[in-house]
Amino acid sequence: MSSPILDITTDPSRIDPDEYVRELMQWHFRPETGCSFWLRRAARLGFDPLTDVNGVADLAKFPNFIDEFRDTAIEDLIPRGLGQSQQIAGIYESSGTTGPPKRFVMFEEWLEGFLSWWGDRLDEIVAETGPLNSLAIVPSGPHMFGEVTTRWARRCGGVKFTVDLDPRWVKVLISQGRTGDADAYAEHIVDQAAHILRTQDVGVLATTPALLERLARHADLVDLINKSVRAIIWSGAQMDADTRELLRSQVFPGIPLLGIYGSTTILGGAKERHDEEFDGNPVSDPFSPYIFFRVVDPETGEEVGFGQRGQVVMSHLTKYALLPNNLERDMATRIKPPEGVIGSSVAGVGPVSTFGGTPVIEGVY
Amino acid sequence: MAELVHVDALGADGIYRTRRRMDLTSVSGEKIGEIGLVSPLYVRRTVAAMREAPVPSATDRIAMLDKAADIYLTGTIADMNADQYAHLVSVASGVPLSVVRGSIAGVADALRALRHTAGLAMPMGAAACWDDPRTESGSAVWTRKGDVFAVHASGNTPGVHGLWPEALALGYKVAVRPSNREPFTAFRLISALREAGFSDDSVALLPTDYETADVIIAEADYAMVYGGQDVVDKYAGNPRVLPQGPGRSKILVTKDVDWRDKVSLIADAVSYLGGTACVCTTSVLIEGDPAPLAEALADRLSQIPSLAAEDPAAVLTVQPCEQAEKIDQYLHTVAEGTRPWLGGDSIVDELPAGGAVLRPAVHEVRSPDASQLNVELPFPCVWVGPWAPEDGIAPLKRSLVVTAMTEDRQLIEDLLREPSITNVYLGDTPTTLMLPGVPHDGYLGEFLMRTKAVIR
Repeated sequence: MSSPILDITTDPSRIDPDEYVRELMQWHFRPETGCSFWLRRAARLGFDPLTDVNGVADLAKFPNFIDEFRDTAIEDLIPRGLGQSQQIAGIYESSGTTGPPKRFVMFEEWLEGFLSWWGDRLDEIVAETGPLNSLAIVPSGPHMFGEVTTRWARRCGGVKFTVDLDPRWVKVLISQGRTGDADAYAEHIVDQAAHILRTQDVGVLATTPALLERLARHADLVDLINKSVRAIIWSGAQMDADTRELLRSQVFPGIPLLGIYGSTTILGGAKERHDEEFDGNPVSDPFSPYIFFRVVDPETGEEVGFGQRGQVVMSHLTKYALLPNNLERDMATRIKPPEGVIGSSVAGVGPVSTFGGTPVIEGVY
Repeated sequence: MAELVHVDALGADGIYRTRRRMDLTSVSGEKIGEIGLVSPLYVRRTVAAMREAPVPSATDRIAMLDKAADIYLTGTIADMNADQYAHLVSVASGVPLSVVRGSIAGVADALRALRHTAGLAMPMGAAACWDDPRTESGSAVWTRKGDVFAVHASGNTPGVHGLWPEALALGYKVAVRPSNREPFTAFRLISALREAGFSDDSVALLPTDYETADVIIAEADYAMVYGGQDVVDKYAGNPRVLPQGPGRSKILVTKDVDWRDKVSLIADAVSYLGGTACVCTTSVLIEGDPAPLAEALADRLSQIPSLAAEDPAAVLTVQPCEQAEKIDQYLHTVAEGTRPWLGGDSIVDELPAGGAVLRPAVHEVRSPDASQLNVELPFPCVWVGPWAPEDGIAPLKRSLVVTAMTEDRQLIEDLLREPSITNVYLGDTPTTLMLPGVPHDGYLGEFLMRTKAVIR
């Protein structure tokens, strides 16, 4: 029922993005193929996506809908055009940092397509080393990262060792000022990972920057990782350029550090450009036109120039979901994207830095 | 400053240049340099390496400290000579140049004095080394409680850095997080210590942000932290941290002493170091009517000229205008209900070249239990209040230094017995007097060392 242009391909660079967007609007806003959420919402858009959205530029007309995904029934997010045959890989949630979590449907076909595109570096490594077991110290359950690492483990030809991790509980602890408890929980996770590293052959390590840094505190674990691990995959938060450089040059020298800048709100993420950095940070290219980024001035909403910093706006546009214009809380430098990629690439993702500000407090120090 | 100054971390492998950097500005708002801010990972790796570093002998440590004093005082370090350094500190911190110079000399003196002062905290029953003949029949030996000492320094005056080198003398490795406003002294002193022979993994400079600063404390065995009451409260339950908080130093003048002879002494104790030290007098309690003393102090302090910090004749501290305004507003708020003798309208005196002088303030409070008597602000700000013998030492509690101008022996005994008073000075000794070997918050050795029995 759908136009072939909407089928996911691992090399979408030849797709005409405007034509893609036009076809996608037909898919999501025709009653035969669209999902209840968008068909219902279309009436209040103030424009007709079927006729008024003729290319990528017109997507800016969509407001940021993402908050409505907090309480939308999951059935309402399934495009009718996909029929019954489409397997659902899972229901995944945003982290819940800014309120109740937002829920999204992850379709099997999309997830596999995305992972094939993202995993080429990993495929190259495994082609050299042979099958590798994975250790995933990542959020699982409602978090996409857990499922993603399961799929990678399969691609790597080995088994996946896991450790349970509940980042929402850590956030609760930190928000209550219980940093000691948060610390103890993190150490509990490291202890479990340590046992796996000591007793099993681990070739791929997937984790978050905070846990990687925590593993790096233990000289014995660093030795174990350096002996057997052939690739480290990280995601889930930011890693500053200085930390990344130290990890690569001193802590885990010679082990490729593969970062994925992504979000559940786009059901995927971007891929680090091979051997190309901007100011010490990896450059992340999106899986365009399915996923793309804009980098805007937080005050005006206007796109910033290349090399300038701004707030990241993410969009996911596939026949599996339409998630336009989600303003993330991340700041990043806007980088010129590769040929054929719409929007922008990004580098140096991080929170807004807060220096200075010297309130008067009593005392002389 | 035409050329920008770069303050980089001095880690266990030498100079470490981070990508994460912050501007350093003068009090007039001009960019004067950049400071690199290290990551938690770097902190942890540095402290771990320091922990493994060998400890030089006590004799070598003292010799190196001596040598470092000369290099720090007169040397050219990172292309900067001693004059340029003093000037830079003044421009960055707003501390008058003459105060900076005096303070620099004080740090050098403190380093040289360690030959004699480092052992003063040792209990009389203890030997300095295990092979002392006394251990043959059994003796206490003075030993370190840990390996790594961390310091969160402040940028008030270079003098802040006169204290922690005692830890080096005792054989500790020391990691210093400098002030992000005036990191030049820490950089210069640690560079000098390294040039004098201390290895890169025995003394380190770890400039960083507020969050990562906690990591330095967590990784070290013991720490000393300069800060306000918030810092004191934060670490109150942490026996590994020695907070250096507000001083709230006070002077008491009883009836048996003629205050008229003491006006200049008191005024100097208020304005010493531009009022930026914890030993500066915050309040004066006088038996009888406080008004004449307040008036005399106001008269005296009002004569200090407003000058740029780098002017050799400057006495008062300069701050960025915005910060000066904030302090002024805060003073207005806390001073409510008091009688202003000086600075009641405004303490801000903007300089033509940028920044503002913080002019002295004198306020009279009505009673010895007025809360203002414990309000310490970073400029010459003094509260004068009445005191009567029946008030006892209660209004003098919670003070780093109390100078008691009195002949009353019982009162002196009471002050000495009071645990919340750290130091008691008598007669014409200003609260600001600091002498090598005379501890101002106990000896650092009391905090960092213990005795261990050795019998052989």
